[in-house]
Amino acid sequence: MNTSMLHNQVPVTVLTGFLGSGKTTLLNRILTENHGKRIAVIENEFGEIGVDNDLVIGAEEEIFEMNNGCICCTVRGDLIRILGNLMKRRDKFDYIMVETTGLADPGPVAQTFFMDVEMQEKLQLDSVTTLVDAKHIWQHIDDSDEAREQIAFADVILLNKIDLVSKGELEQLEARIRNMNAAAKIYRTENAVVEMDKILNVGGFDLDRALEVDPQFMEPEYPFEWGGVYDLSIGTHELILQEGPDPTMKVALVPVNDSTDEDLGTAVEPVVMVFSDDEHELSAGGTLQPSGQLIALELTADELRFDVQIDRPGAYALFTEHHPDEFRAQLISSGALVKPAVEREFKPDHEHDDEVTSVGITTPGDLDADRLNDWIGDLLQTKGVDIFRMKGILSIKGQPNRFVFQGVHMLFDGRPDRPWGGEPRYNSLIFIGRNLDRTELTEGFESCLA
Amino acid sequence: MSRLNNLNRRFFQPSQLHENWTATISDHVIDLAWSPDGRYIAAASVHGPVTIFEGQRQSVIHAFEGHEFGTMSIAWRPDSKVLASAGQDGEIRLWDMTSGEATYSLDGGAAWVEHLAWSGGNEPVLASAAGRKLKLWNVVGDLICEYPDHQSTVAGIQWKPDVMQLASIAYGGVSLWDPQHSEVVRRLEWKGSSLLIVWSPDGKYIATGDQDSTVHFWIMSTGEDLQMYGYQTKVRELSWDATSRYLATGGGEEVTVWDCSGRGPAGTKPISLSGHQDLLSVVRFQHRGELLASGGGDGRVYVWKLRGNLRSMAVHATTLAAGVTNLVWSPNDQYIAVGDESGGVSVFSLS
Repeated sequence: MNTSMLHNQVPVTVLTGFLGSGKTTLLNRILTENHGKRIAVIENEFGEIGVDNDLVIGAEEEIFEMNNGCICCTVRGDLIRILGNLMKRRDKFDYIMVETTGLADPGPVAQTFFMDVEMQEKLQLDSVTTLVDAKHIWQHIDDSDEAREQIAFADVILLNKIDLVSKGELEQLEARIRNMNAAAKIYRTENAVVEMDKILNVGGFDLDRALEVDPQFMEPEYPFEWGGVYDLSIGTHELILQEGPDPTMKVALVPVNDSTDEDLGTAVEPVVMVFSDDEHELSAGGTLQPSGQLIALELTADELRFDVQIDRPGAYALFTEHHPDEFRAQLISSGALVKPAVEREFKPDHEHDDEVTSVGITTPGDLDADRLNDWIGDLLQTKGVDIFRMKGILSIKGQPNRFVFQGVHMLFDGRPDRPWGGEPRYNSLIFIGRNLDRTELTEGFESCLA
Repeated sequence: MSRLNNLNRRFFQPSQLHENWTATISDHVIDLAWSPDGRYIAAASVHGPVTIFEGQRQSVIHAFEGHEFGTMSIAWRPDSKVLASAGQDGEIRLWDMTSGEATYSLDGGAAWVEHLAWSGGNEPVLASAAGRKLKLWNVVGDLICEYPDHQSTVAGIQWKPDVMQLASIAYGGVSLWDPQHSEVVRRLEWKGSSLLIVWSPDGKYIATGDQDSTVHFWIMSTGEDLQMYGYQTKVRELSWDATSRYLATGGGEEVTVWDCSGRGPAGTKPISLSGHQDLLSVVRFQHRGELLASGGGDGRVYVWKLRGNLRSMAVHATTLAAGVTNLVWSPNDQYIAVGDESGGVSVFSLS
């Protein structure tokens, strides 16, 4: 494929989401928005959409295996025909939207765009956009493979209907989703209201943004689950806990500049270091002081009180190994409950142990093209079924241009991108899938460095 | 092989095909059909309209509106008096050449009617495939038979030459049907995705071109199948020669021809013909003669003469301004009509 062809590719957005998540609302919004694009919509049932200049085509969700018996090369036969035909017309469409049924596995749809040269030359999967009903997703996220796959496959996730849930629930949901799919851009919406440039034509540069190293998800192995900043006065306060799931809990209390989310963020990295130190045990009745020490609270009685001694008034960040709610922890000052000014969850639903996760790898240096080919080839052969998506930017030895790629299961599309120029060369890639082995992936990838 | 072919071409330059006439229809030529009596060429635009040209000169006989949302397929009734068309409005229409009107509009049974095929014989039967539905119609548009749904969308249909037996291909294999039975009469299972199906003229083989870049041969006497690997892309182009010896295949930039004489194509090395600079879109043997025509996305048309692996070569060639979408021989094998991506319809003569 050469670069001139790429300019003629028509971008495609695949829209997924459970019934009632707001797909039709979003589609209508896209079609009525004045963006000057001619859009062809392919959907499974004719809904109440369709605007003058656009075209709505019904599809039948016909799924078949492309190769004899290869489960992970399933594609959508109906889409192949519809898209093949659309691409022949002179009155080309500027954009194609494919809406899937609520229960659809997005795999076959996404794979359709990688399946052969014809598709790859003419169409470009811009994004898989998944709508999540913030209130009702909980009913599905634990027991529906499709719901998890829709989240895992997404490049863009709209957390919709946020007006129906509390901020806390939303945080929890977003953290959970983040844990499954670290690369997606997440937007919170009401009535599927979102700026068009957040969901249309996001492909090209989204890759860069998606791979920005965000410590919260690229390194999700935090030693603590929760952190909060309290404004505390001089004196002795009380931390009261109840017996919980574990006999001890490691905590660290450190002073911070102010009680903002940013200050909490700055404390994260030093506290990660603190958590790697030896712990100091503290029994009930003991005194906790702000320090660079890791304290293990002993939690084996019914009601457990610890003194918190503060010598200078100010903001203090408390990081806890488990979520304080698990021990019904409360900070009491002069008989009154003190709430944290800001708080953050770090590894949410830790014992939930989602089998769908993301593994991100970022490393400087050049790759040996042959070794990389062998490794990717092997990996997709053996793990293709479990790898839903992968995408990345690579620095190949001897190549002046960045190499960008994305794949769905075993199918793969890679091409040279803009030159590195003066920019430092690095590799950044992410795998999203089921039962991924972070160590194996990271070591495998690093063995391809030249 | 391609190097030898290149050598051949260096010494034997193909002669330029002579253009008799050229015209333009509204959009990409999605189907093209020369009437069996040689008088008309029907050209269907992906956009919908179907234009009937006189075969001999650039003269429009009829301009049929075709189908809303687009026409998919056209097929001449063997007496050349009626053209059947199928489209994305879910309909099949029978256009009368005398009145220039659609005399019948038939319900294909799904949103898209993709394939049409007339049988031969005194009372020809029209087969239509729409989604999973396969229906048979008589000459005046009465429904003769509606078969049980296929398990997947029908990708292609073809009548066995000179016999009232219809083969259909869908994901999952080949099915054989005859108008006397309301159920499938034979199944050849294969868990794969085929794109088209062609009988050898002697009825001994069925060949399919497949999405997984292979060609499948079914030996009808035994039901055994052979799979031919090594194609560059999916294979949408297949054509048998009149003697049933050669199957020409596309699936890339080179035309690959299998020799089915003797013990068949298994284990043999095919003839490869190179010259196209882009993917092929059509390969077509003459009805009775030995010449093979090919067209590709590069706009080139070649006419090849097969002389074994070393001496096969292009004897005629031409280049259109747009990619070739379809190509058909006139019934007397003297002319080639070519359709292209920008709506061009051109007729060339061999001399």
